[in-house]
Formats: sequence, structure tokens, C-alpha cells
Amino acid sequence: MKAIGLITVFSLGMALFYATIDFPPWADPQSPASLHVSPHYIQETMKETDVSNVVTSVLADYRGFDTMFETSVIFTAGIAVILILRKYSKKEDEKFLPEVSEEAEPDIIIQTVTRIIVPFIQLFALYVIAHGHHSPGGGFQGGVILGASFILLAISFNLKAMLRRISERKDILLGGIGLLIYSGIGALCVLLGANFLNYKVLHLIIPEASQVEARSYGILGVEIGVAIAVMAIMIAIYANLSSDGKYDKGL
Amino acid sequence: MISAAQIPIFIVIVPFLAAFLISIAGLFKEKYCQPLSVLAMSVSLYAAVATLIHVINHGVIHYHLGGWPPPIGIEYVIDHLNAMVLVIVSFVGFIVSIYSKKSVEQELPDKIPQFYTLYNLLVTGLLGITITGDAFNLYVLLEITALTTYALIAVGRGRAALSGFNYLIMGTIGASFYLLGVGHLYIMTGSLNMADLHQLLPSLYGSGAIFIAFLLILIGVWLKMAFFPMHGWLPNAYTYAPSSTSCLVAPLMTKVSVYVMIRIMFSVFSPKFTFQEFSFHEIVVWLAVVAIVGGSLFALTQKDFKKMLTYLIIAEVGYMVGGVWLANHNGIMGAVLHILNDSMMTLCMFLVVGIIVYKTKGHHFDNLGSLYKKMPFTMAAFTIGALSMIGVPPTAGFFSKWYLILGAIDANQWEFLVALIFSSLVNVVLFFRIIEFAYYPSFSNQHGDAHGSEKIDEAPASMLVPLLIVAAGLLVIGVFTGKIVTYIIQYTIPNGL
Repeated sequence: MKAIGLITVFSLGMALFYATIDFPPWADPQSPASLHVSPHYIQETMKETDVSNVVTSVLADYRGFDTMFETSVIFTAGIAVILILRKYSKKEDEKFLPEVSEEAEPDIIIQTVTRIIVPFIQLFALYVIAHGHHSPGGGFQGGVILGASFILLAISFNLKAMLRRISERKDILLGGIGLLIYSGIGALCVLLGANFLNYKVLHLIIPEASQVEARSYGILGVEIGVAIAVMAIMIAIYANLSSDGKYDKGL
Repeated sequence: MISAAQIPIFIVIVPFLAAFLISIAGLFKEKYCQPLSVLAMSVSLYAAVATLIHVINHGVIHYHLGGWPPPIGIEYVIDHLNAMVLVIVSFVGFIVSIYSKKSVEQELPDKIPQFYTLYNLLVTGLLGITITGDAFNLYVLLEITALTTYALIAVGRGRAALSGFNYLIMGTIGASFYLLGVGHLYIMTGSLNMADLHQLLPSLYGSGAIFIAFLLILIGVWLKMAFFPMHGWLPNAYTYAPSSTSCLVAPLMTKVSVYVMIRIMFSVFSPKFTFQEFSFHEIVVWLAVVAIVGGSLFALTQKDFKKMLTYLIIAEVGYMVGGVWLANHNGIMGAVLHILNDSMMTLCMFLVVGIIVYKTKGHHFDNLGSLYKKMPFTMAAFTIGALSMIGVPPTAGFFSKWYLILGAIDANQWEFLVALIFSSLVNVVLFFRIIEFAYYPSFSNQHGDAHGSEKIDEAPASMLVPLLIVAAGLLVIGVFTGKIVTYIIQYTIPNGL
């Protein structure tokens, strides 16, 4: 069996080597990938979407449909974790396992620092979300930072401390709302008579926005949806994994 | 307000939106989850049928997402082939969403909202794979489909978690291969749009990188559909999954993968590349022969009804892959028609298994005792499905097999013909054995109170009616095969073959 595996991996490696012979040279400005569609994105992004960060305009507008499904991949992962791990009946495992209290003493330094730093983390997360139009950042990154601030609470206090601030129900609700914001903006475009996710028709309902600016607002809207969804799902996955689906003390 | 041109997007977007609504509704009232799911599926089915009719009357539909023209943005392209697959997927999704109510309540009583959320996302994924005209968009939806399937399989009983994990490893490898192949294509052409790639690639035929890209994508898709040497994950994953999951996944997953293979072979590459430059088609047909014969033989050795069916799926995948790679009109027509027929037959069979599991709590041959007396309607539907699997004339299964046989003769690939006939004969043995088991009381019950257990004890209507619709559908498809071929299938043959 090992020999078969070795042969397979070896021949795959050789095939990949063989393929690279025909590749354009590394970082070649004349390669097909930098000549076909990329120039359009780089040259037209300001004119067409009013977003200076090309990554954001490709991610949330030109290929915004992919991003909507990528966000739902994260949502799917969260729901999958809940489906597989979450235990609603409480007493089942505890019959066999005696209650072990290996909990570390609460550390005053860690808890105080966390208390001070969490608001700043969240503020920074909001900055990352809002500033995705002009600098590296956006919904995914900001959402992860927001989620991390809650997870930091859970690590330095315990899971209960986090759940007091964002309960399981609220968390799942936020996950769904985040994605409903994204797909809802897309569906709104259909209701206003354009194709799905064609933000330019949003100028009909956003006061004093041109069609191009409407695209920029549309992107901001979906980034906010992504951020909410990513935050909620990060928290849900952490809570389930750390407490084995029981939502009690956590790690 | 909403113009008719927007109908195609509703096929995908309605189940997608419904998934999040169900997740939220589950927090307030769990009993709304399943009706919401049925509602979403029926809208999706309606949109899919309307789209199919539009395609038949007016030709191919292009839908630009975000209003961006193709190579810049993502495009939906709906022609005869994927319009048909869309109807199949949304139909199966609709039928199983009605059917699943009782079985989910029994098997996953405290996870109903999560189940239906993932259910809707899974159907969205399959529809999105089918409808898209963009090679990368296809990958994203492949991910959604895969993730939801892993989770829905892993919540089953027994070894479900382990087989779900096994599937996760194999499925992820398959998806990686696909993505690697698409990456190669992007490096060589700079485009991700299928139609655009189709234009750009011919000047690059003969390049090693393109050859490897094609090979990588093929292997990835074959892993996903459990084509012969890569089939190991399928039987356990589908056997231990909850009934409703296997009813949805078993008919659709492999068939949608076959569709993706056809799309890549003919719409991204071209028949010229696939059959002349690549020139491995005879080897692939041989692999298909091994898949058919091997799948049938393994099915013979099983003592478990559901597991036996999973091996038959592997054999049926061999039918379709072999048919496409015969490289002639009849073969491809047979394969495309078999996508339709096989998804209906497999659906019918797994619906029967689901009912048996619901009533007898198992799917071993021992559970089948005197079912013809206890559940006459269920078993009547089973008999129609079995006849179709064997390929008896008025049922749907016969016609696609007939085209495949004609294709094998046209291509002078006699081994494929032999494999088809062998597999039909094995199916005769398999299904008549099941009929025999189900006709008499099982051995283990002989000494007990046999009379009491032989009263009619039919499945609930929410499970039985969908099954009867599907069984009747098998006969209807069989009778109207001629019409289906004239209006849909003959347009799916690629140009230049």
C-alpha cells in the first residue's frame, strides 16, 4: 500500500513539474494572467466602482457573487459544527465522567488586560471593516478580529462570561442576519429591476448617490454583512469546539 | 416589476435565502423549518421548469451577475443540458423536502433547524454548480456542497462519523485537484469564464500545462463522483447517513459530478481536444467497464439493502462516464439521458429504503420480511424502480441503456456492451432476491407471532406520496423518452463531434 502511495505521489509530482515547463516566467508582466482581465480591474476600478482598493472591488463587486458563497461556506461550517457537536441533553456524558475541576486560578493580570484591551480590539475591527475600500481590510478580516475579541473574553475568563454578552441564540441570529444582509442587498437589486448584485440600481433608494457611488455603498453594505456573519460563526465554532458542544465552562 | 429575464437567478437564490431564514426561524418556532424548506424548493422547481421551457423555445440564456459582462464578471449560462439537470436537482430537492419531515423528526429530533439549513444550502450548491458558466464559481459551490454533505452524513448512526470523515478527506482531495487544474488554466490563459476559456484554449492545445490541467480537473471530478479506482469513500458514507440525507445526496451528487465532467470536456475544452489530443478515451471506457463489473459484483456480496444500492451507484457512474467517453452521438445521448433516469431510479430506491428504515429501524435484508403484505404501495413503487434498474422496456432505465448499447456498438467497444449486459443480469439477480425476501416472512421472525405482523402497516402519506410520484415518473419518463430526446437531449451533443 505504501509503495502504491509513493508511486502515485511521485508521478503526480512529475506531472506538476512537467506542467511548469510551459508556464510563463515568474512575475512576467506579459503573461496571460496579467494581460487578459487584470488590466481592466486595475484601470477601471475608480471609474466603475469608486473604490480605490482593487482587491475590494474585485472581491465584493466584480466577483461579488463568489464572495457571497464564500461567506456562506463559513456559515455552513458553523452550522455543521453545531449540527455535529451540539448536545442539548445535558446529563448524558456526565454520568460516566466525574466532574473534573482542573480549572486554573483566575489570573488578575490577564483578566484586567483583557478588560482594557477588548474595546480597542473591537474599535480596530470596525476600522478594518470600514476602511476596506481604501486599504487592506474588509468584512472577513474585520469580522475575524471582532470574533477574536469575544474569544479572548472566553479564554481569559470562561465561556460563560462570553455567553453573558452574546448568547447562543443571539449568535446564531446574527450569523443568519449577516448573510441575509449580503443576499438581501443582492435581491434588492433584482427588486429594483437590475440583475442580482448589480449595486448600481441602489442609487434609486440612496439619496444623492450616483450610479458609481451606489456601487461603493453596495460594497460597504455587503462588507458589513460579511463581518457580522464571520464574527458570529467564529464565536459559534469556538464555543462548540471548546466546550464539546455543551456550552458550559469551556476550556 | 421583476422581469422574466430574472427567473434563472431565482432557481439558486430562493433556497439560498431560505437557508438563513430557516436558521433564524428555528430559534423561534422549529415547526416552521420544514414548510419553509418545501416552499423554497417549490419556488426553485417552478423557476427551473420555466427556465427549461424558455431554453427549449428560445435557446441559450446568459445572465450576467452584478451586471458585469463575462470575462470581467461571473456569468450564468443555461443551455439544454444544464436546464435539464437544474430541473432534476430542484425536483429531487422538492420531493425529499416533503418526504424528510417524518424521518428527520425520528432520526434527528433536536437538530431540525440545522438539518434544514444545511439541506437548503446543499441544494443551492448543487444548483449553483449546474447553472454557472464560470470555472471558479463552480469551485466555490463545490465547496458548499461538499461541506454540507460531510456534515449531513456525519450525523447518521453507527459508523457515520468515521465514514463522513473519510469522505471529507477524499472529497477535499478531489476539490483540490479541481482547483489546481483551474489554477493551471488561469496561469495559461488569464480567464476563468468557461466560454472565454473555450475560445482561448485551442491555440494552446499541445502544451504540457494544458494537458496536465485537464488531467487534474478530470481526476478531481472523478473523485467527487466515485469513479472506479476512486470509489472507496462512497458505500459507507451513503449507507450510514440519515435516510433523508442519502435520499438527497445519492441521486444528485454523482450525477451533478458527471454533468461537470461533460461541461469541462466539451464546453471548456472541446471534443477535438478530449478525444484526439488527449486520446485516452479507450482507456477511460475500460475503467468504466471495471467500474460496472466491480460495482455489480460487490453489490452481489452485500447483505444490507442500502449498502447494496450504494455499490449499484458506483456501477451506474461507470455507465455514464463510459457512455460519454465512447465519443459518439449515441453514447453521449445515452449518458445524458441516464443522468435523468438514474437520478430518478436512485431516488426511488433510496426513498423506499428510507421508508423501510422508518418502519423497521434498519436496512438489513432481515428487515425486509413480508413487506409486500405490510406495505403494498411502497413495495409496488420498489418493483417499478427495480424493473427500471434492470432495464425492462416500459420503464425509463431501458431507454438510456439502449442508447448506451448502440453507442458501444458504434464505437466498436464491445467490452462496454458486455459490461452493460452483465450488469443488467446481475441487477436481475439482486432485485429478484430482494423481492423474494420481501415476499416471505424473514427467517428470524418465523417462530414468533407471524400473523400479527402481517397486517397492512403502510408508511405515512408524507413519505408515501412523494415515492409514488417518483415511481410514476419513472414510467412517464420511459413513455415520453422520444419527446425528451427530440426537445432536450439531442441539443446536448457538442459541436464538432
